[in-house]
Amino acid sequence: MTLTRAQAEDFLFHEAELLDDWLLEEWADLYTDKSVYEVASPSCEDPVNADPDNTLFLISDRIDRIRGRAKRLLKPTAHAEFPRSKTRHMVSNVRVVSSDDGTTRTRANFAVFRTKEDTSTVYMGEMHHTIVEDGGALRILSKRCILDLNSLYNQGRLTIIL
Amino acid sequence: MALYDPVNSSLVDANPEKGTFRVHRDAYRSDEVFKQEKELIFSKCWLYLGHESELEKKGDFRSRRVGGRDLIFIKDKKGVDRAFYNTCTHRAAKICRVAKGNARTFTCPYHGWVFSSEGELKSQNASTGYVEGINDDGHLDLRPVERLEDYRGFYFVNFNPNAISLHDYLADARSAIDALCDQTEGRQIILSGDHSYTIRANYKLLCENSYDGYHLFPVHASYFDYLKDQMAGTEGEKLIEQALKSYNTAGQARALGNGHAILDSFVPTGRPVAQWLPSLGLDTKDEVEAKYASLVERYGQDRADYIANTQKNLVIFPNLVINDILSCTVRTIEPESENFIRVHAWAMGPEDESEKLRAIRLDNFVSFLGPAGFGSPDDIEMLEICQDAAGHTPLEWSEISKGFGKADDPLVAEGPPDDEIQMQAYWTMWDRVMRGIETLEEK
Ligand code: FES
Ligand SMILES: [Fe+2]
Repeated sequence: MTLTRAQAEDFLFHEAELLDDWLLEEWADLYTDKSVYEVASPSCEDPVNADPDNTLFLISDRIDRIRGRAKRLLKPTAHAEFPRSKTRHMVSNVRVVSSDDGTTRTRANFAVFRTKEDTSTVYMGEMHHTIVEDGGALRILSKRCILDLNSLYNQGRLTIIL
Repeated sequence: MALYDPVNSSLVDANPEKGTFRVHRDAYRSDEVFKQEKELIFSKCWLYLGHESELEKKGDFRSRRVGGRDLIFIKDKKGVDRAFYNTCTHRAAKICRVAKGNARTFTCPYHGWVFSSEGELKSQNASTGYVEGINDDGHLDLRPVERLEDYRGFYFVNFNPNAISLHDYLADARSAIDALCDQTEGRQIILSGDHSYTIRANYKLLCENSYDGYHLFPVHASYFDYLKDQMAGTEGEKLIEQALKSYNTAGQARALGNGHAILDSFVPTGRPVAQWLPSLGLDTKDEVEAKYASLVERYGQDRADYIANTQKNLVIFPNLVINDILSCTVRTIEPESENFIRVHAWAMGPEDESEKLRAIRLDNFVSFLGPAGFGSPDDIEMLEICQDAAGHTPLEWSEISKGFGKADDPLVAEGPPDDEIQMQAYWTMWDRVMRGIETLEEK
């Protein structure tokens, strides 16, 4: 099946909700064995088309590392997220870009507000999803986040999942 | 809290009888000390600017902040690498406002003065008013930095015209750079992309952390858990256990003179040049082993083993870090204040590397070293809690005594990987420069 805008929106909202609730292993279950989750570096000249095999990304996880990231972030020894951040994912302007053969590609704007200790920062940008049906459920085949930032000057680092 | 007086007191207290090496916490938290460091450290030491491979074509430039100065690093139209202050000689406007590009000239946005890639004032955008020959003495040309020198393609600047040469300054750190450059028959280059991020901590805390073997297990336990999960059920799993068990005894920390030091260790993550471990993937085995064989052929067994198998964390005093470990980073630490730094990090790799190994190299970088990886963010968190607590508690001294006294001169000591002798070397140099005992100038 291919998704309507409303269905795609519901799915992206669901992903956001899992992240804000820190249900990270459930979040990782949204991905398939072939999935990737990527965040381009802010300085990247062509973040939509850049290839992490030859350009430095902030995050370029295949499924093992998607699951590893979820698992790690839930441990108290993941010092960077202990005490844990509070996050709020805002997803808007969802567009279905193309939709065929059970694959739906979407673009959406995002802003993720993060509070760590007494500091709040924002990560904003656009995310590109490829959503497929896999084992009777909707899953994410790929997600690439493109930040509207030139550096992590205000944010410092990226230890939450966008 | 006591304010630092560089003439009459020392913030570094080395006491060989007691076996203690202490650093006063004002060195990390006092803005007064930071002001003095700008004068004494960042105006006298050689500071990393960039790598020759970043300027490939004539006119290629990078704008960079180095030691609190905004600079333009450019290959001019004759092919000469140069560094200028990024300010118009008219009324100070920043003439280059982008991070990188290619230009034959720079036009100042304010009144339109035009400067060539060699720094000459070409036009004042006005035909009347100025006396004839006002720039015959060149005082309106872009100001070059006082000194610009390179070692094997690594360009450094020095704002002191009388400074000793970069060659002498680097001392034995040259051999560490050699071990990196000699990995390939071709050349090492800065790869596409970079990381730029900030830390709310003093720059010296990141230097300390960058070659601190002592923190490995407490801070990076979750990374080793991840590695073990990845390797579960393979021969790699055992290798990890073995290597981690011998971590404290295999390898060493070595001071390299002038405050530089290196940590040579054996962390079991594999190196694209040229140590094959299962974590690199089965399909890369032949290629990595061929690289290793080529090293043996070129340099003999011992040096090949050193180049291929040792994870190297190098800090070149005062603020350049080269982590040549599971991937290779070149990282500068730019202090903005006593408790806020900007880190700029690049990936380095052999130009002639295969696509597959290049991909693994970058993947290794992203997995551990970047600001969204599984390693660096945990380090950063530690630095920030050190800075925060040092600034809000009255304890005066930090203890850096582990392994102290291995040599009469801490600038050339050696010890096991989890010692603190590398930091003792750094702080000894820092103290000597801050107190004017070491001027780093030609006599
Ligand atoms: S400030 Fe540059 S032309 Fe006036
Ligand atoms: Fe670390």
